[in-house]
Amino acid sequence: MSLPRRSYDPRRVCLIPFPTLPSFLQTNKRSLGIYTSGALFAIGWWFFLDACILSSLSSRPPPSSQDPESPWDPPVVTISFADWVPGLCGTLGMIVVNLIDKQHLTEAVGFGSATFSFGGGGGGFGSDSVQWRARLFLFLGFALMAGGLAGSITVMTVKYLVPVLPPGYDYYGVANVVQNASIMLSTVLLWISQNQESEFEYNLTL
Amino acid sequence: MAAGIKTIILLSFVLALGFLLIILSCALWSNWLPLLVALTYILAPLPNSLCSRCAGADDFSADYNSAFLDFGHFMTGMMVVTGVALPLSLAHAGIIAPVACAMSIAGGGLVYGTILTYSGFFSESDEF
Repeated sequence: MSLPRRSYDPRRVCLIPFPTLPSFLQTNKRSLGIYTSGALFAIGWWFFLDACILSSLSSRPPPSSQDPESPWDPPVVTISFADWVPGLCGTLGMIVVNLIDKQHLTEAVGFGSATFSFGGGGGGFGSDSVQWRARLFLFLGFALMAGGLAGSITVMTVKYLVPVLPPGYDYYGVANVVQNASIMLSTVLLWISQNQESEFEYNLTL
Repeated sequence: MAAGIKTIILLSFVLALGFLLIILSCALWSNWLPLLVALTYILAPLPNSLCSRCAGADDFSADYNSAFLDFGHFMTGMMVVTGVALPLSLAHAGIIAPVACAMSIAGGGLVYGTILTYSGFFSESDEF
C-alpha cells in the first residue's frame, strides 16, 4: 500500500482553516483584484472630491443674502492647494510603482551581467545596474505614496484638528486621509494581483 | 435561438426602465446633473472593449502582454465606482435631492447590468 503523492504539504497551520474562495473567483482572481483596485482608487478620489465640492459650495455666498440682520460670513477654512498635494503625490507614486517592469526587480543577473550595464553605470553596486535602478524607482514610488499618506495626516492635524473650528470641518481632513489610504491600498492590491498567475495566460494569437 | 428574442425584448425593457429612472430623477427636480450618471455607465464598458483589442503578444516580446487588459479592468472599476459616487456626493453636498440620488443610482445600475448581460449573451468572446 502506498499513499498517493500529494503536491502540497497537508499539515495545517491554523486550527480553523481559512475559507477558500469560490471557484468562479479563483479562475479570474487577477482581473477581480484589478477591478477592486480601480474601484478603491476611485473611492479615494471621490471622497476628496466630495470634500472639495462641499468646501466650494460653502464658500459661495447664497443669492438671497441681502437681509442686513443676518449677514453672510465666509467659512473659516476652505480647501486650498495644500490639501491637493498629498493626493497628487500618492497618485504620482502609484504611477511610478506600476510603470516598473517587475521582472527587473527579481531577476538575479541581467542578460549577461557585464554586457547589460549601460555606460558602466552602477559600478559600485554590483554588475546588474538595471535591477538597482528598478529598485531605486520602486523605493521612490513607495516613498511618494507614504509621503502622501503622512502629508495628508499632517494636513488633517495642522489645518483641521489643532485649530478650534466649528464642527463639520473635520470631514475635509478625514476625507484627505481616506483618499491617500485607499490610493495606497489600491496600489498594493494591484501589485499583488498582477503577480498572480492568470489562467488565461496562454492565448494563441496569430 | 428562440430564447434570444425574448432576452432581447426583456433587456430592452430593462434598459428603457433604467433610462426612465435616470431621466425622472433629473426631470422631477428640474436639475439635470444626474444625467451624468447615464453617461458614465454607458462609457463604462468602453475601456474593456478597447483594451482587449490591443492586448496580445506584440512584436517585441514573445510572451503574452496583458498590460492593456489590466488597464482596461482598472478603468472599468473606476468608472463603475464613479457612477455610484457621483450622485452620492452630489446628494451629500445638497445639490440634488436624496431620492433623485437613489433613483439615478438604480437607473444606472439597470443600464449597466443591461449592457453587461447583453454582451455576455450575445458576444463571441467572453470579455465584456
